[in-house]
Amino acid sequence: MAMTCDRVREYAPGYVLGALDTDDMIAVNDHLAACTKPHPEIDDLGGVLPYLGESLEPVEPPAWLRQSVLAAARADLVSRRRAARVSEVPAEPVAAVAAPVAAVAVRPTALSVVAGQGWQPETDVIPLARARFSRQHRIVTWTTRVAAAVAVVVLAGYALVLQGDLSKIRTSHDHETQVLNVLTQTGTMKAVMTAMDGSKAGGIAALRPTGNIQVLLHGLSATQGDQVYIVWLSRDNGVPAKVGSFTVDDSGEGYLAVDNVPTSASLWIFVCREPNANVTKPTGPMIVSGTVSL
Amino acid sequence: MRQVAAGEIGGLETIYDRYHTMAYALALRITAETGLAEDVVQDSFLGLWRNAGRYAEAKGSVRGWLLAIVRHRAIDAMRRQRAGIVLGEDADETLPASLTLPDIWPEVAGRLDAEQVRVALTVLPPAQREVIELAYFDGLTQREIADQTHAPLGTVKSRMRLGLVALREQLVAGDYATDRAAVPSSNGKKGVA
Repeated sequence: MAMTCDRVREYAPGYVLGALDTDDMIAVNDHLAACTKPHPEIDDLGGVLPYLGESLEPVEPPAWLRQSVLAAARADLVSRRRAARVSEVPAEPVAAVAAPVAAVAVRPTALSVVAGQGWQPETDVIPLARARFSRQHRIVTWTTRVAAAVAVVVLAGYALVLQGDLSKIRTSHDHETQVLNVLTQTGTMKAVMTAMDGSKAGGIAALRPTGNIQVLLHGLSATQGDQVYIVWLSRDNGVPAKVGSFTVDDSGEGYLAVDNVPTSASLWIFVCREPNANVTKPTGPMIVSGTVSL
Repeated sequence: MRQVAAGEIGGLETIYDRYHTMAYALALRITAETGLAEDVVQDSFLGLWRNAGRYAEAKGSVRGWLLAIVRHRAIDAMRRQRAGIVLGEDADETLPASLTLPDIWPEVAGRLDAEQVRVALTVLPPAQREVIELAYFDGLTQREIADQTHAPLGTVKSRMRLGLVALREQLVAGDYATDRAAVPSSNGKKGVA
């Protein structure tokens, strides 16, 4: 049956409450999207809905939820910015590299024509002015060739560096996506990790009921030599158990994913910078920490 | 919301601080499970954060939009849980559209507090309140409500309409008298709820 304005008015209470059958919901939606006549009954009745939610006694959620929401939003923001950079980065370097390379590819061809003229054997007496012109052309030609070769090498190196940066950005984006996916799963325990050393380091840890833990940190100092960051878990302030270690490059980002981590309530997670990965108890400075909770 | 749309965390903090108890209460009422309610609230604020650009300030309140998101997510979570699907897997990213509210609602919003709204709800006849609550909090369709309450479908539809209209009039008029015989409507006429 075709949906008419009168029928929409009849269906309005069920529609605003989402209580129509699926077919009717779709039909009303389609009608409202296409109809040029006003349907004030929808907004008039729909305006009641927020008050139904507000009629409940407010309930205070756990305090960590605020931190968790804000941390997830921050991670989403970083992820979005990096994704935007990832989508922009290939366009710039390719253009930047392609344009000079194309110019370099074109110029020698053009120059070779000029050079060909300059390199032609001269059997006749060459006027002095012409000889000078020819010599100058040879110098220019070789100078340009050397410059072009250097430019190609430099641009190739630049392209490699950009490839490396791009790879890092993609890896980082993948890590954030993985952690965010875990965070939204039911039963995942979270810890918002904040700096203990006055630095800007921070991040989030997600511990699944299956024992898989993912830790994503930003703002860390790059590790040197054998230096590593080690993640520790402490239960009820007992002896810390080593979870795993990771190194950090100049991006300042650290990521660790480990399976079979014992889960329980009252877990405290912290990260120390250690001289090497073989330490069996925390010895280095504590960089970040957080309480793991549902 | 402009701050949130611009990607400023401070804007989200403000909205969270203002509405988190309301959002959690609604999620808890629908899911009846603290863990799921926490997931729903986090998911809803993230949904609001990610889709703030779609929010049209002129069309309704932030509170209304947030509560619509929470309700949508909570009911979705309950249906997924019943179907054995974990929240977060193939999560429905569809958000409820912001309503284009008539001018009357901002006035009402500025005048009422939660207690007055509760009073307005309590003066509804129980049968009308029941169908509205089953639809709003339990996400049941009119047909499902008819099955559950053993009432004819037409009766359910009628109760839903009368209940919403009466509630609207209660809220607009701010008249919470228990005498339901004559309810002043927004256009000044007398009506029967």
